[in-house]
Amino acid sequence: MEPRPGTDADAVQGQVPRLVYEPATVDEAAEVLTRCAREQHAVAFVGGGTELGLGPPPSALDAVLRTSRLDRLVEHAPADQIVTVEAGMTLAALQRLLAPHHQWLALDPPWPERATVGGIVAANSFGARRARYGSVRDLVIGVSMIRADGTRAKGGGKVVKNVAGFDLPRLLVGSLGTLGLVATATFRLHPRPEAAATVLVPGVAPARAWDLARSWRERQLEPTSAAALAVSDRLDVGVRFEGFAPGVAQQVERLLDVARGLGCGAERLDDAAAASFWERHDAVRTGGPLRAKVSAPPSRLGEVSRSVLAPLLGELSPASAAWYPSLGLGFVAGRPASPAGVARAVEEARRALAPQGGSLVLCDAPAEVRASVDPWGPPPAAFALMEEVKQRLDPDRRLNPGRFVGGL
Amino acid sequence: MGVDASVADLARRMAAVVGPRNCFSADADLLTYECDGVTHGRTRPALVVLPASTEEVVELVRLARAAGRPIVPRGSGTGLSGGARPIPGSVVVGLARMRRILEVNLEDAWVRVQPGVINLDVTRAVSAAGLYYAPDPSSQSICSIGGNVAENAGGAHCLKYGFTANHVLGARVVLDDGKVADLGGPALDVPGHDLLSVLVGSEGMLGIVTEVTLRLLRKPEATRTFFATFPSTDEAGEAVSRIIAAGILPAAIEMMDRLAIVAAKAATGLDWPDVGAALLMDADGPLAEVEHVSERALGIARQAGALELRVPRSEAERLLMWKGRKSAFAAVGRISPNYLVEDGVIPRSEIAPVLREIDGMAKDHGLRVANVFHAGDGNLHPLVLYDARESGQEHRAEHLGGEILRMCVRYGGSITGEHGVGSDKAAYMRDMFCEDDLETMQWVRAAFDPECRFNPGKVFPTPLPCGERPGRGEPHPAEKAGLAERW
Repeated sequence: MEPRPGTDADAVQGQVPRLVYEPATVDEAAEVLTRCAREQHAVAFVGGGTELGLGPPPSALDAVLRTSRLDRLVEHAPADQIVTVEAGMTLAALQRLLAPHHQWLALDPPWPERATVGGIVAANSFGARRARYGSVRDLVIGVSMIRADGTRAKGGGKVVKNVAGFDLPRLLVGSLGTLGLVATATFRLHPRPEAAATVLVPGVAPARAWDLARSWRERQLEPTSAAALAVSDRLDVGVRFEGFAPGVAQQVERLLDVARGLGCGAERLDDAAAASFWERHDAVRTGGPLRAKVSAPPSRLGEVSRSVLAPLLGELSPASAAWYPSLGLGFVAGRPASPAGVARAVEEARRALAPQGGSLVLCDAPAEVRASVDPWGPPPAAFALMEEVKQRLDPDRRLNPGRFVGGL
Repeated sequence: MGVDASVADLARRMAAVVGPRNCFSADADLLTYECDGVTHGRTRPALVVLPASTEEVVELVRLARAAGRPIVPRGSGTGLSGGARPIPGSVVVGLARMRRILEVNLEDAWVRVQPGVINLDVTRAVSAAGLYYAPDPSSQSICSIGGNVAENAGGAHCLKYGFTANHVLGARVVLDDGKVADLGGPALDVPGHDLLSVLVGSEGMLGIVTEVTLRLLRKPEATRTFFATFPSTDEAGEAVSRIIAAGILPAAIEMMDRLAIVAAKAATGLDWPDVGAALLMDADGPLAEVEHVSERALGIARQAGALELRVPRSEAERLLMWKGRKSAFAAVGRISPNYLVEDGVIPRSEIAPVLREIDGMAKDHGLRVANVFHAGDGNLHPLVLYDARESGQEHRAEHLGGEILRMCVRYGGSITGEHGVGSDKAAYMRDMFCEDDLETMQWVRAAFDPECRFNPGKVFPTPLPCGERPGRGEPHPAEKAGLAERW
């Protein structure tokens, strides 16, 4: 597997690698990592490049391994509702393969046409349906990885229920290529719902949006997604129900009732209006050049809106925000008016979130902002243990060095 | 130095931490702790200590480390893989006294509990608010949350709701160096490596968990249950496949074969017919969805060849049906003096051929196997029946159990779906994983516990005694300490 010279198109946060490998098979990928180990090369893994804005620039970058040619289906067992694919397959390509079987991988992160399965695992990407189906860690059941030393190793398996051995698949979720290359991943699949409907509750005060989410939980409604989009100091809350038609219809009626009970206007959107609501949501999720992810206990939405979202939005123009009220996660995106101002707002937001166990991570940011504020924030409580894990799996610190939490 | 003297010394020091009543080393007191739910292979530990707080656990870990002794953490001792089986010379740290619910947050739907809290008590504590804790292992009225975390416990309803791993938000763990690490937390997506996910299901080998934060769910609006009988497991398996293929995600779908039905009847007095197989299915969720789904599932079961369909007329009747299912393990004791419980997993579409193969293998071994299992996710619980008084039967039963697990792996499945590997299934790990896979897991283990203090000898197969390479090529600390032969 011979490399080619890197070009600007291969850059990771402005740094151009000397070498670029594009292995066509998992065996070739293992060869590449063996060679990188021999030559002590620092290497970054790149899928669709949709999350390359995460974290600081690499502290060293000799080579980039692109997974784009590792795009094969390894196994799809429709009756068992599982699929194994190579890391470089895009999410959209995977969903197209599954659609004729009325199945999907219940993950809906942004940029499905570009985002690859391996990248989604490494970056723990998710979308609005996390409210019902969980995140990558709830859906991944097996991985085959290539370690820093070029050795292939696997964890998990291809059955949904399996507790044999330590959970390597979940360890790799969100590890941003710092512990090994995800070569193939196996997922649990879900049936595609036969009916869907979105209810819009427009112009809700943030604290009220939490009341709404709590009330639909109280009423035992089970939406598959809920997103609150910021419109000045109010939120437009879209709630989507998916499943069998009678269940969807009944839940829609009940949610309208719940909203009325809280004194909120609400309407069931027609298909076009529903599509346009979720496009507005997607626009926040792909917005930039600065995009931040915020996590906080769901019940604190009022406070978070006041002390985190509003100050950040004030520093961005244009500015947008999407909040998942049942999860306590959200995104803010826009163009910083001044790097210093937005950096200050980020630090203040972190101070406000810390006592509640919340966090703010910059998913993307202009270089000037990144230079003045750590994209990950302060290292987490268990950072020493993370360093130990990194030390065991990548003792020479060659895998995506410097890009992760605390400079790992 | 005599072993007794060193044990006595350690016992004195540990008693000073937990109080003399909570530290014992007399043979009679140790009996209970010689095994967990797997009663063969009993082993006596040196000492049993029952701490009451994280601080006490820290002190105990420091003392055990200074004395060079391994620690075996223990919850309620209900495990079915020998995960809490002591090793000679070890200190068993029993967490049964740590059973306080520390914090309840109904608004954000989580609880923070000590590890000795009983699974069902979590739900009891929050049920007035309409919330519950989803994982429901059959032992949920006696098993502890700490044990559930160690084994990543499942249960009948994990088909829809997931396993312990899907419901643990955070944990506090005491490490080998006496440091305390907080992993995860009530807010989602704490930046950094997801070490919490490694901790769950690590079978007590990374440290001692002293607090756990659990996600709670709102109780579903409605539950519909039906019980269906079939001429054989072929038709029952086909019904399961078709229900799933129809896009239905049951809350639970359980299967019993003829022998298991006979046993459940004997134990509960239920008026179940003598048939080749039975299914018990729960659908839950919003009312209209559930009614639609259960009607469709009933229709599918009928088409797949169901002999009889029963829908419980009351909640009491529904619970009775579930009692029949949940008591099936113990019920087997009515029809056989002894039995082994296996916990293999297969792709669910292979249920029928696998059961035929098990039947053939049982005949070859001259034994009977009763099958009770979570059909929706292909998690088999073959109960291998034998009579220990008959010479050679126990050995044959163990052999048959092992052959069944190997067959599960051959079908693309797993040697354990929810009971864990423990000491009982470690020998089969190589059927699923190669040396490189195991080595990688050992590296992760070594990051937490470089000296293999916690629960050594579990999960990983011998001869790699503890497998990892703490200093890459240096002798294992256990060897240096002269303890290797004990492990």
